[in-house]
Amino acid sequence: MIAATDIVSSYGRRRILKGASFAAARGECVAIVGANGCGKSTLLSILAGTLKPGGGTVVYGGRTAWGYRGSKPGRLCCDREVIRRMTGYVPQEDPLMPELTVYDNLRLWYPDRRALDAELEQGFLSLLGIGAFVKKRADKLSGGMRKRVSIGIAMAGNPPILLLDEPSAALDLICKADIRAYLRTYLERRGTVVITTHEESELALCDRIYVMRDGVLRQVDSGLRGGELVKLF
Amino acid sequence: MLLAAVALMLLIGGIAFGAAKSMEREPLAVRADIGVAVREDNRMTQMALDYIENMESVSGLCRFVKVSEDEGMRLLADGKLAALVLLPEELVEGIMDGRNPSVDVVFPKNARLEAMLFRELTASGAALLRVAQAQIYGAVDTAARYGLEDELSVMEAEIDGFNLAFALDRLAVYDEEELSVTGRLSVAQYYVASGIALFFLLSGMAACQVMEREPAALQRQLARAGVGRLWQHLCRWLCGFLYLLCLAGMMWIVLRAAALCAPENAARLQEFLMSGSGGTAMGLRAGLFLLALAAVSSFHCMIYSVSGSRTGGILLVFLLSAVMVYLSGGFVPSALLPDAVRAVGEWLPTAYLIRACGGLFAGARAGLEGCGTGLCLYAAAFGAAACAAEYCRDKAQLRQAD
Repeated sequence: MIAATDIVSSYGRRRILKGASFAAARGECVAIVGANGCGKSTLLSILAGTLKPGGGTVVYGGRTAWGYRGSKPGRLCCDREVIRRMTGYVPQEDPLMPELTVYDNLRLWYPDRRALDAELEQGFLSLLGIGAFVKKRADKLSGGMRKRVSIGIAMAGNPPILLLDEPSAALDLICKADIRAYLRTYLERRGTVVITTHEESELALCDRIYVMRDGVLRQVDSGLRGGELVKLF
Repeated sequence: MLLAAVALMLLIGGIAFGAAKSMEREPLAVRADIGVAVREDNRMTQMALDYIENMESVSGLCRFVKVSEDEGMRLLADGKLAALVLLPEELVEGIMDGRNPSVDVVFPKNARLEAMLFRELTASGAALLRVAQAQIYGAVDTAARYGLEDELSVMEAEIDGFNLAFALDRLAVYDEEELSVTGRLSVAQYYVASGIALFFLLSGMAACQVMEREPAALQRQLARAGVGRLWQHLCRWLCGFLYLLCLAGMMWIVLRAAALCAPENAARLQEFLMSGSGGTAMGLRAGLFLLALAAVSSFHCMIYSVSGSRTGGILLVFLLSAVMVYLSGGFVPSALLPDAVRAVGEWLPTAYLIRACGGLFAGARAGLEGCGTGLCLYAAAFGAAACAAEYCRDKAQLRQAD
């Protein structure tokens, strides 16, 4: 479902990613862990199409999202349509307009009002429990509610791949459990999840764990936890 | 947001009213020092100069200072002279025998009010001389054609008497024209124009919700959805522009309502708005005004992009607007400001903005040359600066997110 190969990226002279590669199959959950500042969010931004890599390829469901095409092999091209259709992206900060209600925020991303109402009643959005606060203004929401709406926004168009950048950071235990339950349902429906996290409870969901260190990804035993895992950072 | 804008409108209106009143109470007395460099010590030239200097209309405005050419140029550069008149050799004889040697008048590059007055006076005097000479040449030609050379001296004496009579009653030949530090606008019009400019600039504080940068995560999601950064920026600019347009519409409605409520004031209002419009096309003036709003909206976008926060943006809008309007002569007319302030102020966007708003009242006569180009350039520059600021901030945030 996802094949990322030799992803390279740098900020000025500082090289963040030095050939990161990983793969994930349909219905699989992949965690990317590592120390702060190691490049996890950069990798996810590239996968989500909001940052251009310095090199490498990304393929979603057999279709190239980032890759070298045409007669000029050195030129990196992006197929935004593939990225848009295939991925939903939940960044660290919430992409909400504070002055609008939750419903209006969702309407920005769900062009069909009836489809949105149906999702709120019995679709993914109802699983997230957004219906309970759909009329609230976004700036009045708690952190957990905001994160649920962010996931709801990422799910607009039912993408088969969900990219989550530390979704549980600074959330309470109930909210973390709800998000885990939601991700479990998503995986059961053959969705693919790529998640960057520091939460052990979220690692339990994952089929594979990659540790990012010195700009490269290394797959580790998915049973590793706590100090053993941290030693590899 | 609109309530805040209305409060702002009332505040600025009060300030403008007070300033206009204080200007009316204190008429300005200006007397210019004019350097005169006589290139030869000719008695006739000296007599003519004494005569002109002692004319009431000249002595009321000018004080002639006899200087050498070099000294005059130096004093002019130092700002101690409003203008320097260079008189050629045999000036009076040359006028009388038709050689017409030219008199050079040197003005400083950034003419102050005194220099502006003297320029007007010189132009009027030259026009009077041109008419008198045309009469003499006409008399000479007529006498030659009809063989009346013997009568020529009588004809010249008649013409001289006629011109002297006019010169003594100068109001008969001079156009009456009011010169003011506010240019072609009346004091009230000037302060309404600068008040409008300041109002639109400060209204950016009330429009912070519209103008401030969206959350970075939202910007990235929009970019993913195919709404690129440039489009996002353009939409924000357009929102600001429409907001300013709404305010302008409100102001217009208030004015029309005032005219309707008190029909006896309608004619005065019409005169206030259109006096001195000089027949300038309404479309052109409206176009320039819209361009001014576009530049203001672009300015607000840039401030909120650079500041990165709502509070910072509001403070910056307030400070920059107030300072720029002051430097551009919005509080005290430019002609009364120090030279250094004037030199800076005339290139600021607010100078173009005030002129564009003044164009609503005085049309092309308000000195609108280059105003449209200036506003376009500033709008583009502000837009580019806003995009650059957002790009840099986005890069920094991505780096932080890791």
